[in-house]
Amino acid sequence: MITAPLLLMTVILPLASLLLAFRSRWQEIYRYSLPLLPIPAILAGLMAELDNWLELPWLLIGGVWGLDELRQTFLLLTSVLWATAGIFAVGYLTPRKLRAFCVFWALTLTGNLGLIISVDLASFYSFFALMTFAAYGLVVHESTDEANRAGRVYLAMAVAGEMALLTGLLMAAQQADSMLLGQLPAAIASSEQRWLIIALLVSGFGVKAGLPFLHFWLPLAHPVAPTPASAVLSGAMIKAGLLGWLVTLPFGELSLPTWGNTLVILGAIGALGGAVLGLKQVRPKTILAYSSISQMGLITLMVGAAMANTAQAATLFSAIALYALHHGLAKGCLFLSTAVELPAERRSRWLVWLLIGLPGLSLAGLPFTSGAAAKFAMKNALKPEQYEFAMAEYLPLIMSAGAVATMLLIWRFLWALHQSAQTGNNHRFKWLGWVAASVCSLVAFWFLPGARSTAGHSWFAVTPSEAWSLIWPIALATAIAGAWWFVRGRNDTGIS
Amino acid sequence: MTASALLPVFALMTSLTAAVIIFTLPEQKHQLRTAVNLTAAVMKLLLVGLMIWGVFQGNEYGISFPMVPGVEFILRADALAMLFAGLSAALWLLTTVYAVGYLEGSPNRSRFFGFFSLCVASTMGIALAGNLFTFFLFYEMLTLSTYPLVVHRGTPQALRAGRTYIIYTLTGGAALLFGIALLHNFSGDLPFRPGGHFEDMAPDLQIPLTIVFVILIAGLGVKAAIVPLHGWLPVAMVAPAPVSALLHAVAVVKAGAFGIVRVVFEIYGLEAASALGLLSGLAAIAAFTIVYGSVRALNQTDLKRRLAFSTVSQVSYIILGLCLAGPVGVAGGLVHLVHQGVMKITLFFCAGNYAETLGIHRIDELDGAGRRMPATSVAFTLAAFGMIGTPPLAGFITKWTMGTGALAAGMDWVIAVLVVSSLLNAAYFLPVLNRIWFREKKDAWPEERQWGRFETSAWLLWPSLITAALLILAGLLASASFSPLGWVELIVAREVDL
Repeated sequence: MITAPLLLMTVILPLASLLLAFRSRWQEIYRYSLPLLPIPAILAGLMAELDNWLELPWLLIGGVWGLDELRQTFLLLTSVLWATAGIFAVGYLTPRKLRAFCVFWALTLTGNLGLIISVDLASFYSFFALMTFAAYGLVVHESTDEANRAGRVYLAMAVAGEMALLTGLLMAAQQADSMLLGQLPAAIASSEQRWLIIALLVSGFGVKAGLPFLHFWLPLAHPVAPTPASAVLSGAMIKAGLLGWLVTLPFGELSLPTWGNTLVILGAIGALGGAVLGLKQVRPKTILAYSSISQMGLITLMVGAAMANTAQAATLFSAIALYALHHGLAKGCLFLSTAVELPAERRSRWLVWLLIGLPGLSLAGLPFTSGAAAKFAMKNALKPEQYEFAMAEYLPLIMSAGAVATMLLIWRFLWALHQSAQTGNNHRFKWLGWVAASVCSLVAFWFLPGARSTAGHSWFAVTPSEAWSLIWPIALATAIAGAWWFVRGRNDTGIS
Repeated sequence: MTASALLPVFALMTSLTAAVIIFTLPEQKHQLRTAVNLTAAVMKLLLVGLMIWGVFQGNEYGISFPMVPGVEFILRADALAMLFAGLSAALWLLTTVYAVGYLEGSPNRSRFFGFFSLCVASTMGIALAGNLFTFFLFYEMLTLSTYPLVVHRGTPQALRAGRTYIIYTLTGGAALLFGIALLHNFSGDLPFRPGGHFEDMAPDLQIPLTIVFVILIAGLGVKAAIVPLHGWLPVAMVAPAPVSALLHAVAVVKAGAFGIVRVVFEIYGLEAASALGLLSGLAAIAAFTIVYGSVRALNQTDLKRRLAFSTVSQVSYIILGLCLAGPVGVAGGLVHLVHQGVMKITLFFCAGNYAETLGIHRIDELDGAGRRMPATSVAFTLAAFGMIGTPPLAGFITKWTMGTGALAAGMDWVIAVLVVSSLLNAAYFLPVLNRIWFREKKDAWPEERQWGRFETSAWLLWPSLITAALLILAGLLASASFSPLGWVELIVAREVDL
């Protein structure tokens, strides 16, 4: 009974908040309402009945909204991250262009939440477009030359992506003779132009997901946005591209080894190349943006494997959802921490560094963190003996290299942050938002439905060999970073 | 003659009567003139609404009498007529409100509103015309009644534009008349009929029919601004904003496009036109026009000129849709008749608001206009995104329906045209939006005036906001039966025998 109102409110509340933009003197109210906007979505993620579709036949070309297991995980990730980033934003924002920021924030949020609950194509594509175009306002918010340039690159690539999507979706929908997303995979699998449709959808969503060679906008745009916006861009919106892949591509219909190989190669390039480029960066937020490309590369490995082997698609989907949930929450924390000012007092300063570092270590897969659960799920799902496509045997190697690269990048980030971090007092909402995000990443993660079903057991039931498989990449990366630090001298600021 | 048979006549007479009254009113009777204008517009909207309801129920309204032996004057309200009549009645009311505000305090308003009413009466006649001859009468009446509107300002530039306009359209009209006469010569007076008249034509008619088709389309193509017959349109944008709005959204370009619809559907019939190979030729020209118009729009620095080239491009969507010759593609083309009208009228209203309130004509003067005129800018933004074809707005419904129709018809290349056109639309609209919202204002506005308690006069603001709302609703509620798409599907079910 409660499902329909929650789904409707998920979209309507952030849209209705636009009324607060009518008077400039209401902008302070708008600021404080930002954390509240994703609340219906959080409730929907926790309470809505799954596979209970809400039909809106008058909407667009026939609207159908609802949640299944996959969408539930994505909705929770997205709404929780937007809520914590929203709390952070209350303390972060200055009065300059505050109203504009709130409007674009609300619109982008509407799109990001709406696309997750859309089960029909037209709603999905509408919300996707809303998110894409509204996010431009967040990217260029600071209106520096750098932001404007990033905005231009972002918009150009986004529009190109939209066109690829339009074409791919049109062809798929025509083949399916249906506007339901659920009908597309089978239709694509049986289409004669399968290759073209898949290429269009992989690249169209790939722009958003930071797929290598379609990623150019990402390291420019994610860092220039105001910090709370960077957090949702890199944590939540990047996952919209992933969700797009998962709901449209012909998983579970047909094994496509060529696509599997292609995506695994792209994933490897993203995972390792993203890290290498990230190591060369100086600014903390840019390093994090490259880390997102790297992490999405690892996820792309799983997407590729699912394309290559129908039988594994279901297992891989849970692993992908878990990984997305873990990465989104952790990356959100890391981005927020770039704007946290360090306390002057020595002991609390160490505490803050610990809280900054933990989500990073989680990304690297430290035992007892969400990252460990995600990595376990990924490793189990990507055991080479389950696959026959050519790239399968390299999967463990890529994953191990990816883990080392991740940790190296985290050290690089911490070092860069250490160089640039300032001492001072934080607005209490900044504390609150950042701590809330960290709590979600480190603690609440285990209680969210997506994590409960897939990984609930693995954090306390670790065998020594499993623990070793998680720890050696961290140790190796730490040794490399330490050696580097020792060689280059303690006062060196960057790696050229 | 029953009362219901008279409905089309009444619908036509409201604006004709208004025109006569306004011409006789003295110049300074502003309030009375406005009252007459608005009463007529509202009455017409009600009458058309009544007919739409009747047609939806399956009623037919019509009247016919012979003009000269062998040629009849026919007025008839069918579903297709109601598409155009509905659009024109709704947008006329809004444009009248807009024009009253826009022309406040300027001279010659009596003349302006008189011809304005005549112009709308002509579009009503074009919508309701039941055969080519009747269509032609109103088509020429439209030419003559829009000329004084184009040259209204009386500047040398306006007069030059008027001359170009009248040369183009009268030549087009002559070609149309010639085509009609030829057709009449070998097949007599043909009323518009679903499915057309040439389903099983004699083989020896093929060549003359092809020639006549080319002549008719050339005649109609002038108003529909098909390349290379579009030259008048970008020049005519010197007209006052409400005239441009009407010209680009309802009256002139749509009259041409609507004529092409009638000829293809109800004189030749889709099947015959397709069999003669006429549609593929038309499709190629329409596709070229779509791309050409957008490319030209890219390098315009004047806002209204950019919008004018955009119209050249967008109107050919309608024609390309017809050429897809399947129920879905045809629906996509027809629905754009309404969608393009609503979107383009919004853009021209907004361009007028910027020009009248801030004196902005060039695109590079728009920097920071969003902060000064947020409501206008929101309307402009929505319409621009609609033109690009962003969901969930009206333009997306067009593009999606046409794309689906193209794939169904096996004309995959049309998708490429749609994509290229969308990219070009994005390329010439997004930089404008970027200036409006994200650039800082450079120096003082060229010619600012404080006007009313809002950002501009309420008379100018409300029509823009209403049409902006309509273009959202047309997309968002596309599946509702009263939406433009719903109505077009009714037309396709009734008219196109496929």
